[in-house]
Amino acid sequence: MAHITINQYLQQVYEAIDNHEGTFCAELLSFKHPHVANPRLQLATPEEKCQQVLEPPYDEMVAAHLRCTYAVANHDFVEAYKFQTLVIQSFLRAFQSHKEENWALPIMFAITLDLRIFANNAEQQQQKKGKGQPGEMLEKAADQLMSCFRVCASDNRAGIEDSKKWGMMFLSNQLFKIYFKINKLHLCKPLIRAIDSSNLKNDYSPAQKVTYKYYVGRKAMFDSDFKPAEEYLSYAFHHCHRSSQKNKRMILIYLLPVKMLLGHMPTHQLLKKYDLMQFADVTKAVSEGNLLLLNEALSKHETFFIRCGIFLILEKLKIITYRNLFKKVYLLLRTHQLPLDAFLVALRMMKVEDVDIDEVQCFLANLIYMGHIKGYISHQHQKLVVSKQNPFPPLSSVS
Amino acid sequence: MAGQRQRAGQEGGRRKGQIPKQQLKDSVPRGTCQTMCPANELHDREAQNRLHRFEMIAGTERDRRPKGDPLRAVKEYSRPAAGKDATNPTDLRPPAVLRKTVSYLIDDIAGSSSLHPWTEVYDFVFDRLRSVKQDMIIQRVSGMDCVAILERTVRFLIFASYRLCGEPLQLYNPCINDTHLQECLSWLLECYANETGPHPNQEEFQALGLLYNLGSGRAAQHVIELPEQLRSTPAITLALSINRAFVERNPVRLLRLSQQLNFLQSCALHRHLVACRKDLLLIYSHGYSSRNCRFPLDRLAQLLSLDRSRTAQLCQVYGVEVNQDNQVVFSKAAFSELEQGKMQCKLYHSTVSEKQKRPHC
Repeated sequence: MAHITINQYLQQVYEAIDNHEGTFCAELLSFKHPHVANPRLQLATPEEKCQQVLEPPYDEMVAAHLRCTYAVANHDFVEAYKFQTLVIQSFLRAFQSHKEENWALPIMFAITLDLRIFANNAEQQQQKKGKGQPGEMLEKAADQLMSCFRVCASDNRAGIEDSKKWGMMFLSNQLFKIYFKINKLHLCKPLIRAIDSSNLKNDYSPAQKVTYKYYVGRKAMFDSDFKPAEEYLSYAFHHCHRSSQKNKRMILIYLLPVKMLLGHMPTHQLLKKYDLMQFADVTKAVSEGNLLLLNEALSKHETFFIRCGIFLILEKLKIITYRNLFKKVYLLLRTHQLPLDAFLVALRMMKVEDVDIDEVQCFLANLIYMGHIKGYISHQHQKLVVSKQNPFPPLSSVS
Repeated sequence: MAGQRQRAGQEGGRRKGQIPKQQLKDSVPRGTCQTMCPANELHDREAQNRLHRFEMIAGTERDRRPKGDPLRAVKEYSRPAAGKDATNPTDLRPPAVLRKTVSYLIDDIAGSSSLHPWTEVYDFVFDRLRSVKQDMIIQRVSGMDCVAILERTVRFLIFASYRLCGEPLQLYNPCINDTHLQECLSWLLECYANETGPHPNQEEFQALGLLYNLGSGRAAQHVIELPEQLRSTPAITLALSINRAFVERNPVRLLRLSQQLNFLQSCALHRHLVACRKDLLLIYSHGYSSRNCRFPLDRLAQLLSLDRSRTAQLCQVYGVEVNQDNQVVFSKAAFSELEQGKMQCKLYHSTVSEKQKRPHC
């Protein structure tokens, strides 16, 4: 295979298209396939050859693909990206003319995936040379993917079997990857809406659904919609293939903070298994109500947490930590009328900066408001009066 | 901004190849207009009687056709429309002229003590700054000029958002001001991120950006991703602490920390204070909800950084009872979210005005 001639290769492509063998044709255009390493195919000017064998626009598509293999062989990703864009554009022309057919979807998956990867690499090459704005290439790649997405989403005529709509989730996932990378999460919204309103949304492949839920979960998390975030990320975690440990770890990085906010702490074994010990002290601190340790843990792994984009969410664990600390004060004093001073002492022990009795009252009022403490504050007596029954309801029952 | 670029990009993608775009880049228009207002426009507006009174030659204002003062007339904003060529070099002002224009607008018009009313001053300056921004976009101005212009514009818009708060909608529309402010701010932050400095004012504007967008995850995430050296500067550290207090719903701390802000920072924060004070009354209504408990009004006033009468007024707005002995009777059942518009932010401006100095934008 690696040594076929250009004519043999073109013949294969021709037959694959003619027989509507989408998967095989996709291989012949994918950079995951070994033919791209075949020096006999890496041509600087393959146009004429392609025109002899293939009909337009397939000739253009394959010519651009071969020039792309040539560019990649020369490690020129800016050039490769340029030709991959051409591949997509000629493909789209063909794809749009496939009325009520979707056999070419695998081709679209292969070439759009490669486009994103080349845009990534091209951008890195540009940055090294000090050229171009960060995100510029990826944004352009996103435009290409969007034009594919529009073709798929607007295919309303075909029956379910032959619908191009089956391509939507794959493209959404590729676009999510770009939008998360260039930090334009608001652009995810129309995609999510399109998928949500589609009648196929539950029938895509498990792999696509896992990726999709992972990104939608992360998006929900950044919008502070923690309940849905937990749902999506849990789905992704439980349905992710057991051999994809790396992906499961990535899901956990976001699932853990959300779970913790909702009152579920991860076990030590889980953290160990997925090499996420950065969370160990955070977990311990929150459960013990140890604000001091929480602050230490957050600043110790600050870089990691910020890079993952979860630092601000972990900071929200402080509220639960206050709750746990105050519960300890209650357990120690064994009374239902707790002097406010006791809480002040506890907070000062935790080195909460310049805290005073007014702030203690504010913390307590907030916890009461949120339902974490059942009781009321008496300003005259400077006491927190807690309910005789269940003054600190379990976390999972609150939020 | 991003939306526009996105759309432009898509159209580029539909064309064959990237060549036209490249050509476009080489043919970015370069302005040649050396005055704040292009001669054509001044002539036309004079003829059509469309000069603003700030642009007329003194003494001719009452004439049937007032004369335009070339030293005071400034290019108007005009909406882009089909068939209109906005790229004529004689109608575009180069960066140096744009900078001078901004200085004129802010120092001589906005900062003037003789021009009244300020709503009219704002209307004029806002419109002319908008046309400055348009000239910058058409010519793709970047670098120091761009940063300097955006910084002054952002300061002006932040100040205006405070100064004109509560004005009738036909004189000041907070949504439009906000839209422009956000656009300028995100463009400015993009400049900081993408262009090599030095940017001596970056600390100030990163802090202002966070205070103005308090509670926005995006704004906070942006700030914590800044290099440690910048992030730990006093203004940004303070802004981050205030943001944390907001997120933790700790209005007591937030209001306390806000006392440390300078005037412009207070202006940026001010639009969140209504919500912050409401939060305080809301959580206290729950935390102190007991029939026999009282909370001293003076103490509450202190926490809210308001005087006693304003505190009582605010309590009344939210249905919180204050009895004859100046004791607050909190009750979670009595607290009520008010109907929109009843709450006048402006009445509670005391904290900022105490520090009122002449703003230098």
